[in-house]
Amino acid sequence: MIFEERQIEKNNFSSRAILLFSLIIIGLVAVLIQVFTLQISGYSDYQLAALKNKNYAVPVQSLRGEIFDRNGKVLIKNEPTFDLITRPNLILNIDSFLEEIQPVIYLSETEKYRYTKLQKEKAFVNKELVLKKDLSDEEIARFNVRSFNFQNAFIAKRYRRISDYPDIFSHVLGYTSRTEDDFNSIPEIPRSHWKDVELTYAQGLIKGKTGLEEIYDEHLSGRHGQRVYEMNAKGQFLQPLSLTKPERGADLYTNLDIDAQKSAAKFLGNRKGAVVAIDLDSGGINVLYSSPGYSINKLSNGMSEDEFQALINNTDKPFFNRALQGRYPPASTIKPAIGMYGLSNNIVNWDFEMKDPGFFTLPETGRIFRGWRKGGHGMVNMHKAFLVSSNTYFFSLAYQADITELSNHLSSLGFGQKVCFDCFDEDKAFVPTPEWKYSIMNAGWLKGDTVNLGIGQGYLVATPMQLANYASILATKGQFIEPSLVALGNQKKALKIWKDEGFNDSDWRKMHQALLGVIESDYGTARSIRDLKEFQVAGKSGTAELVSLDSKEAYQKVRTSELLRDHSIIVAFGPMPNPRYAVSVVIENGESGGAVAGPVAIEVLKSLIDE
Amino acid sequence: MNKPFQKIYFDPYLFFSLFLLSSLGLFFLFSASNLDIYLVLKQMVYVIAGFIMMILVSQPDPDIFRRTSGLFLIFSLLLLGLTYLFGPEINGAQRWVRLGPFSFQSSELLKLAVPIFLASFLFNKKLPIQRQEIIISLLIICCCFFLVFRQPDLGTALIIACSGLFVLFLSGLSWTFIGGSFVVLIISSPFIWNILLQPFQRQRIATFFNPESDPFGASWNIIQSKVAIGSGGLLGKGFGEGSQTQLNFLPETETDFIFSVIGEEFGFIGVLLLISIYLFILLRCFYLALSARDRFCRLVIGGLSLTFAANLIINLCMVVGLLPVVGMPLPFISKGGSSLMSLFLAFGIIVSMGTHKKFLPQ
Repeated sequence: MIFEERQIEKNNFSSRAILLFSLIIIGLVAVLIQVFTLQISGYSDYQLAALKNKNYAVPVQSLRGEIFDRNGKVLIKNEPTFDLITRPNLILNIDSFLEEIQPVIYLSETEKYRYTKLQKEKAFVNKELVLKKDLSDEEIARFNVRSFNFQNAFIAKRYRRISDYPDIFSHVLGYTSRTEDDFNSIPEIPRSHWKDVELTYAQGLIKGKTGLEEIYDEHLSGRHGQRVYEMNAKGQFLQPLSLTKPERGADLYTNLDIDAQKSAAKFLGNRKGAVVAIDLDSGGINVLYSSPGYSINKLSNGMSEDEFQALINNTDKPFFNRALQGRYPPASTIKPAIGMYGLSNNIVNWDFEMKDPGFFTLPETGRIFRGWRKGGHGMVNMHKAFLVSSNTYFFSLAYQADITELSNHLSSLGFGQKVCFDCFDEDKAFVPTPEWKYSIMNAGWLKGDTVNLGIGQGYLVATPMQLANYASILATKGQFIEPSLVALGNQKKALKIWKDEGFNDSDWRKMHQALLGVIESDYGTARSIRDLKEFQVAGKSGTAELVSLDSKEAYQKVRTSELLRDHSIIVAFGPMPNPRYAVSVVIENGESGGAVAGPVAIEVLKSLIDE
Repeated sequence: MNKPFQKIYFDPYLFFSLFLLSSLGLFFLFSASNLDIYLVLKQMVYVIAGFIMMILVSQPDPDIFRRTSGLFLIFSLLLLGLTYLFGPEINGAQRWVRLGPFSFQSSELLKLAVPIFLASFLFNKKLPIQRQEIIISLLIICCCFFLVFRQPDLGTALIIACSGLFVLFLSGLSWTFIGGSFVVLIISSPFIWNILLQPFQRQRIATFFNPESDPFGASWNIIQSKVAIGSGGLLGKGFGEGSQTQLNFLPETETDFIFSVIGEEFGFIGVLLLISIYLFILLRCFYLALSARDRFCRLVIGGLSLTFAANLIINLCMVVGLLPVVGMPLPFISKGGSSLMSLFLAFGIIVSMGTHKKFLPQ
């Protein structure tokens, strides 16, 4: 090549080489810019992403608080059981391991099968695996002696929710059951990590399902902690990095009284019914008992399917909380309320007298409403009407009542309302109104309906809780406090006042005298319980008719079928003259109120007052 | 130059920068391999052997390379043919040929043979290059490209094609022709996509454009690589402290993704240092190319150093998420004897071409 040509070639090469090397430099700069974007601008995001890759947070279950009665005696506690936990990654040969541990711990074939199936998978990711739950004392002792042989296994505490009185507090305390609700309780822990939760309870993740366990679940639950493990890309746990300890749930101090509840259970026996007792100073519910009950220990900690089915199919309906959900006609126990209405509205006064022939004839139709005693009670005023429980007197009073006003009056006394501050699944029961009757039965309200209401029969129904609340209004002369099982510091309960212009202090005094007379006088319908105690008690008993009958003879036939027998009811408060407790008792198919429900009420009051 | 070096052809700038680079490479590899000292020692043997080979290859006169370039190409192709016939299949690809205890990736030699042969073919041609010469060159490039592409090894095949095209371009390919072939390439791209690319290659390209479509599947690698680099920050997490690397979230840490390890453990500062060394090497090669004694040397230095640069940039762009994933090691750092040997061989030839001067200018 000639010189010029070489020069041209060289220049040509140079310019092309410069072009390509410039492109290379642009490429390197682009890479640097990208790296800068990742490392400097995007640092915090990517740092977080890297941590999220390797940090695996596992929830640690918190311990629930315990529940106590008003004297500080424990009602529900956490009782430890012991499980044998293994570290499968340290077990090289499953068969020989099982053979070695066999003489120490009894293992069934299914337990062995289940363990062998899961072992490899858990070993790979360095997780723990339960070999046997709920070890016996002997097994624990045997294992402890030989524990140096088993570096790959250890005993861990797992709690159970246990009550020493599982059957008598079943409805009020309630039970716990497994839950998946907690899966969202820790925002930074994804749902999938909950399969690795470190359990504190043998039953797993639990929450209150009924009763106080449910109502105060948040208070009792505490907060789950978390343990963060370092994890590699295969999902193997390498080492624990940090632990946020779980916060134990707060204890719950209730107004319940073990001894009084025991008395209620003892004297109700195996009859169906309910007892509610209220401390008038605080509104605290001391007794909330429904019979029959069931074992909350079994329900909380695992019950066989057969046992559960037996409970469900039991015709006595043990799951039914009669104290809060049982709808009973209040019968004669409503008479004080009707009396209050009559006095407030000047339909009657304490001096008004009338003849009780044993029945009341509805003027419009001539329909006969019978009293409980043939021949009646002679001349009765209000005081006597309470004592002898004259139906005729209250038929006649109710006949003159305005049904709407009377309904409002009953509502003001808590009927047809939820009255308990913190009860589980309380029923409102029912106060009838003409509008209700028209919309449901497509029939007008009859005078006879109001007359029936006068003795607590007919459409009116109330729960034992409402009856106890009503008794506490009567006992406190209207200055009552909303009933509650627990009152936490931050929950304000108000003093409630029942007041009516037409019902003054003297009326209250006379009312107390009359109700005292029901039990303490020679003529009172509930005098049979007078001698059971050393203090004075006021109250009103009732017998709720399940079938409407015109004569005693007809009732004798009905009696043969136990389920059609009358309910026996009493509301009472004492000790008089300065009552501290109010109580209501309903015994299904118990017949005559005073004689049957009365003793139960007295025993409950006794155990409350004797403290 | 000092007296002793007058007989030994040696470029101190390249030598020391390559020495620094491969030493750092061993250091990074130690961390990337989860402290596998055996692997690092093995790699160190390759590095030492590489340096010896580089110095040996630097000594012959460039004319010897020019005259033997045809033989070298034929030898390389034969080796590749042997791979087809006898090579073991590793990860679904036949890339290796066994020579006694060593296995060698035969396509690596073509990265050298193709540019050197083309340089020797074109160095004395008149400007502008004639159509006939272009066609012959392109045929050789395509032939080698397809042989490697079928293994299948898209990364190496692309590098081989690049190495040939660089020489063709530097030797004075007309701009009209370049423009024309660009148009042809764009028109034929659907054909390339549908017929030439393997399904897994198509998948990689698809995930590159939409990485969130499949975070646990195909785009896992690139996402984890970005997380590794990004979480390194300015100063990095320190040697052996990168969680992405050490806990195996990052794939292929010893080979293709070793740059992510460096980014994670040594941060932006480490990346800057590494890229500076590469840049220095490239600028030195650029200088040697411009000051080389004749056209053949210029073309060979240009072709080989640009091939090295392309190799580097494709790897970097891939791990930082600027290009789809193609199998391509980071030169002088990634584990692997074959690629290291061919790199040292290339730099030996570059030094030979750059340091032999003609004492009798015409």
